[in-house]
Amino acid sequence: MPLVKGGARGSDTSGDLTPQRPALDSSDAESRWAAARALAGHAEAVPELAAALGRETVPRVREAIMTALMRIGDAASVEAMLPSLRSQDAGQRAAAIESLQALPEAIAPFMAPLFGDRDSDVRLLATELARNMKAPDATRLLCELIEREQHPNVCAAAIDVLTEVGTPEAIPVLEKCAVRFAETPFLPFAISVAIARISGAEG
Amino acid sequence: MPITPDDVQRFCEFLYRRTGMSFTQSKRYFIDHRIEDRIAATGSSSFQAYFSLLRADADHEIEHLINSFTVNETYFYREDHQLRCMTSSMLGAIAALKPPGGTIRIWSIPCSTGEEPYSIALWLMENWPEVDNYNVEILGSDIDTRALQAAAEGIYGDRALMRLSRDIVTRYFKPVANGNHQIDEGLRGSIEFTRVNLIDAQDMARYRDFDLIFCRNVLIYFDDASRRQAAENLYDCLRPGGYICLGHSESMSRISPLFSVCRFPDAIVYQRPEADHG
Amino acid sequence: MVEVVASAKARVLIVDDSSLVRLYYRSALEKAGFEVEQAINGIEAMERTLSQPFDLVIVDVNMPRMDGFTFVRALRRIATDVASLPALMISTEAEVQDVAAARAAGANFYLVKPVSEAELVRHVCVLTGAAS
Repeated sequence: MPLVKGGARGSDTSGDLTPQRPALDSSDAESRWAAARALAGHAEAVPELAAALGRETVPRVREAIMTALMRIGDAASVEAMLPSLRSQDAGQRAAAIESLQALPEAIAPFMAPLFGDRDSDVRLLATELARNMKAPDATRLLCELIEREQHPNVCAAAIDVLTEVGTPEAIPVLEKCAVRFAETPFLPFAISVAIARISGAEG
Repeated sequence: MPITPDDVQRFCEFLYRRTGMSFTQSKRYFIDHRIEDRIAATGSSSFQAYFSLLRADADHEIEHLINSFTVNETYFYREDHQLRCMTSSMLGAIAALKPPGGTIRIWSIPCSTGEEPYSIALWLMENWPEVDNYNVEILGSDIDTRALQAAAEGIYGDRALMRLSRDIVTRYFKPVANGNHQIDEGLRGSIEFTRVNLIDAQDMARYRDFDLIFCRNVLIYFDDASRRQAAENLYDCLRPGGYICLGHSESMSRISPLFSVCRFPDAIVYQRPEADHG
Repeated sequence: MVEVVASAKARVLIVDDSSLVRLYYRSALEKAGFEVEQAINGIEAMERTLSQPFDLVIVDVNMPRMDGFTFVRALRRIATDVASLPALMISTEAEVQDVAAARAAGANFYLVKPVSEAELVRHVCVLTGAAS
């Protein structure tokens, strides 16, 4: 019978079971990956993880660092990931958004500054962070943004999130937004769909 | 209370984003009923209230919801297109890199009551001409120790065996009490059953060097954070170039970018990259 | 609204994580006679392009798990004809370097959001060779 009872580890054991101090600054990506994974949940490692994030170029190591920070999930972890929102690398920005999105309570104090950021790209990305918040909080934050936002793409991003999480309180703000951007492509369509979804059983 | 078409759209968009599941227009009436059932089951006062609960995944509502949409009973040769893919495509690539008599390691996690790991074993013996040329190690793991006990016992009713030919049942099973069948002792003895928590990195760190992992119909129920953790763990459990198969409604697009998409004739599966592209 | 008829229903894959954007593009393109499929990010897009034939893929940039640039680069590395699938990148970024980066990744054309229905249909017709 060709079936052989196997154990947990294969016969060619690569890698050490007993960890030395993980090396986040190793020149080897595999070591940095293992190091980042080992530090998940270790709140004291945030400064080290933040520094590593600032210099990491290998996407999966970067994501492992962010997973580690996400698992720690405190204000310091959030602060460590915020600079990634300004990265030129779309993958890095998206990875940061995903990790931060999973921390709706920790990210809450940072929302107003993010929505007031001078960079429209940062404001746009930040709208995604409201997606996992409770409906009333997300609605309030996104409506505040929309009311003063000049950039159509930032409004579009906010409207997209509101389509999922918005409460009927958002409708007057959306209607005013539709008037402001009546001549802009896409936005009138987006707003009419958002209002229809939000109204749902009420409408 | 009635659910409006916009409520259904909102629900479908959420479900699609979260799980990748989508429905054609013809399935819409079916969805209405499922949502109404869940609204009633959760004691929600309205669709809005239910939707908030769903978004927050309160009381594992995502799991209850998905279970109400899908047939989630386990049986032998379930999703056999992936077993076919194993013998038609994946094993060829895996075996090509092994010496004669080399070891091929396959993991079924979660294995539940054993139908999946035993199915893998049966399928290999019945359908892989090369099976005698390698040492095949099959492991089955689950977080549920009672399921593992049942798996080790290997006793199944007719429903679990419904996809197996009469011939296979006769050759690999023997009748036992209550109209059940027990799988061959040799097979029972050749599969290692262990308790593992997919999300626990320490637990998972004890498992390495797998060529093929079946991780079907569990990740879809996890929240984002747990899915990422599980994906990282599974990555480390695979050899570079090793494959991982998900359930038919699942996609790595909702889980993790760690794995490459492999399109084989019988199935889409995922692969840990061979080398670090960076 | 420019009336357009596509010959033999060209197939377009829309890749964008915004359900509103996908709805908007889909409605415009279906009206213009195209057959449309969707994906929410680059990984799902890869699954679709490897499973079904398309004449064009429309790709957003900012998407979770696999962004548009990574997808187009991966698309161009596929070892079959799928690698030459025309890709229209539609992004919020308008700088010269963003367009250059899109070209370098392998995109055939680049548009800046928000895109009007007419503009979208016009470009899709050109890139799929549909009559207009």
